[in-house]
Amino acid sequence: MRTVLVVDDEFGTVEVLVAALEDEGYRVLTAANGRRGLERLEENKPDLVISDFMMPLMDGPTMVAAMRADPAFRGVPVIMMSAAPEDALRKHMDGYDAFLRKPFRIPALLQAVAAILARAPGPTSERPDAPV
Amino acid sequence: MTSHGNTLKLERVPTGIAGLDRILCGGLLSGGVYIIEGVPGTGKTILANQICFNHVASGGHVAFVTLLAESHTRMLQHLQPMTFYKEEAIPERLYYVSGFRVLENEGLKGVIDLLRREIKGHQASLLVLDGFATTEESASSPREFKKFVHEVQSHAAAMECTVLLLTNGSEREISPEYTMVDGVIHLENTLFEHRTERTLQIGKFRGSDFLPGRHPFRITGRGHEIFPRVEAAFAVPTVRDDYSPRRQSTGIASLDEVLGGGLLAETSNGLYGPTGIGKTTFGLQYLAPCSEREPGTFFGLFESPERLRARAATLGIDLRGLERRGAVELIWCPQGEHILDELGHRMVDAVRRRGVKRLFIDGYGALVESATDPGRMTRFISTLGNELRALKATVVISMESRNIMGSAAELPEKGLSSLLEGLILMRYTELDGRIQRVVSVTKIRDSGFDPSLRRFEITSGGIQIGGALHGVEAALSGFAREPRVVAAEDLPPGKRREV
Repeated sequence: MRTVLVVDDEFGTVEVLVAALEDEGYRVLTAANGRRGLERLEENKPDLVISDFMMPLMDGPTMVAAMRADPAFRGVPVIMMSAAPEDALRKHMDGYDAFLRKPFRIPALLQAVAAILARAPGPTSERPDAPV
Repeated sequence: MTSHGNTLKLERVPTGIAGLDRILCGGLLSGGVYIIEGVPGTGKTILANQICFNHVASGGHVAFVTLLAESHTRMLQHLQPMTFYKEEAIPERLYYVSGFRVLENEGLKGVIDLLRREIKGHQASLLVLDGFATTEESASSPREFKKFVHEVQSHAAAMECTVLLLTNGSEREISPEYTMVDGVIHLENTLFEHRTERTLQIGKFRGSDFLPGRHPFRITGRGHEIFPRVEAAFAVPTVRDDYSPRRQSTGIASLDEVLGGGLLAETSNGLYGPTGIGKTTFGLQYLAPCSEREPGTFFGLFESPERLRARAATLGIDLRGLERRGAVELIWCPQGEHILDELGHRMVDAVRRRGVKRLFIDGYGALVESATDPGRMTRFISTLGNELRALKATVVISMESRNIMGSAAELPEKGLSSLLEGLILMRYTELDGRIQRVVSVTKIRDSGFDPSLRRFEITSGGIQIGGALHGVEAALSGFAREPRVVAAEDLPPGKRREV
C-alpha cells in the first residue's frame, strides 16, 4: 500500500483529500503545517507529499526546501497546491513535481497522484498493490 | 530619567474605501483592534478582504487567519471577480492561513501564538481574524476569553498591527469584547417593504471622531461602495461658502426679466408644477448657455439622455454638441432601487469633478421615492443644498405637483420652501375655454422680482413668457375668472364699503 502525506491547514480540504485517497486504496497521513509535515516524514516516510502553499508556522515551500536538503527525503515527490495561481507562486517555490490550483476536482488530483507515483515510485512503496 | 519629549501620535490606517474612510475621519488607528460584526450575508468577509487588498496596494502586509472550518479557497474564488482582488498580492503581501486546527488542538493559547507568529513572520501591518465568535465558544470561562482579547490587543499595539475581528455578533446585550476593543463596525441588512438596504454603523471608535448614524452601502463588483449619510457628511460644507450676490440667467430672457435679472447665483431653487407643464424644457434651456468655463449638469431620474437630446433638438439646442465640448454632462439615474445618499453623493461628485455652475435636478419626486425614510427629505435637501452652493453651483430642482389642475399648490414637503432661495410656480389654468400655462415667481430671497402672473407658451424656441395676466383672478386655482363685482349688501356687516 502506498502512503501519501497530506499537509494542509484547512480542515475541510484535508478531510476531502483523505476520503478520496483512502477510497483509492492509499494510506494517508496528515499534518496541519509544514513543521508538523516534516515531523510526520520522520515518523513515516511516504511515497508522495501533497502540500498546501500557505500555512501557519511553516509554509509548503519551506517544508519542501527542508525535504530537498535532506538525503532521506530528497527523492519523495511533492504536489504543491494553492488557491493562488502557479505563476504568482513560482518565484517562491522550488523542488515540487506538480502543481494543482485550488479548488480542483478530485479526479484531477487522483490522476496527478497516479501519474507521479507511476514514474517515480517511492522508496517505501510496494508496487504490486499500488493503485492505478 | 530622561524624557525625549516625543508624543506618540496614532497613525491612521486608511481602509481605502472612500466612503468608509470619510465616516472614520481618515481611517482606523494603527495598532487598534476593531470588531466587524453582522449576521451572515451582511458583507463582513468582502469588506475585510477589500480593506486587505487596499492595504496591500498602499504598501502594507496582511495576514488573514480564519478560524472557520470552511476553506478560504472558496472565499478567494468568490473574491476573484471583484475589481479590488489582485492575484499578484498573494502570498507575498497577503497571506491566508487557517487557524481552525490550532484552535481545536491548542485552544486560545495556541491561537495567540499563531497570531503573533503570523504578524511577525509576514511583517503584517494588518491582521484579520475571521470567525472570532469561535474563540469565545472555545474559551473555558469568560475570564479566559477576556484574557484572550486582552492579549490580542497587547500584541497588536506592541507590533503596530491593526486587527480586524470578524464575527456574527454576540447575542448578549453588552459583551466584554465590545467594551475592550477600540472600535465596532456594525453591518446590517434592513428590509423596507419589498426592498433591502444595507447599512453600516460605527458603534464605537476610540481616539477618533466619526460620522454617526447608519450609512447605506452597496456591494458591487467593486466591493463595498459606502455612502456616508448626507446629513452627517455635509453637516458643515466641505469648502468655505464665499458668497457674493449676483444674478445668473435662466437661459430664458423673458423669464430673467420677471426674476429681476435671473436667478440668484449659487443658490437652490425650486421649479414647481404639474406633469407636462415644461419643467424639463426649462432644464434644457437652463443648461443651453453652459460653456467649458461655466459647465452644467442635467441630473435626471426620469428621461433617458437619448430622449433629452432629441427633445433639446426640437428646441434648437445642440445638447450633443454641448456634451462634446464638455459644457454639459447628462447623468441619468433611471428609477430603480436607488439609495438616497448615493444620489446625493453622485450630485456632489459631479459638481466637484467639473466645477459645475449650473445643476438641474429632474426631479424631487424620484429622490423621495429612493428614500427609505421620507421624513429625512427636508434635512437632506438642506444639507445637500448647502454643500452644492458652497461648491458654487446654482441648483434648480424640479418638483411635480400632484394635481394637473385644481387648487392644491402645496410644496411636497413641509419646510421645503424655507430651504429654497428661489421658487418658480408653473400651473395650468382654464381661461376663455382653453387650458393655458401660467407662471409666477413666488420667491427670490432678499431680492426684488415681478410677482405678476404671466401666461407662457412652449414654442419651437422653447419657453416664451408672455405679458402679465390682467383682468382675471384665481388663475392659480386652475380656474381663472374675471373678478367678481360684489355688491355692498353681499358683504358681512362691518366690511361694507364701496366696491
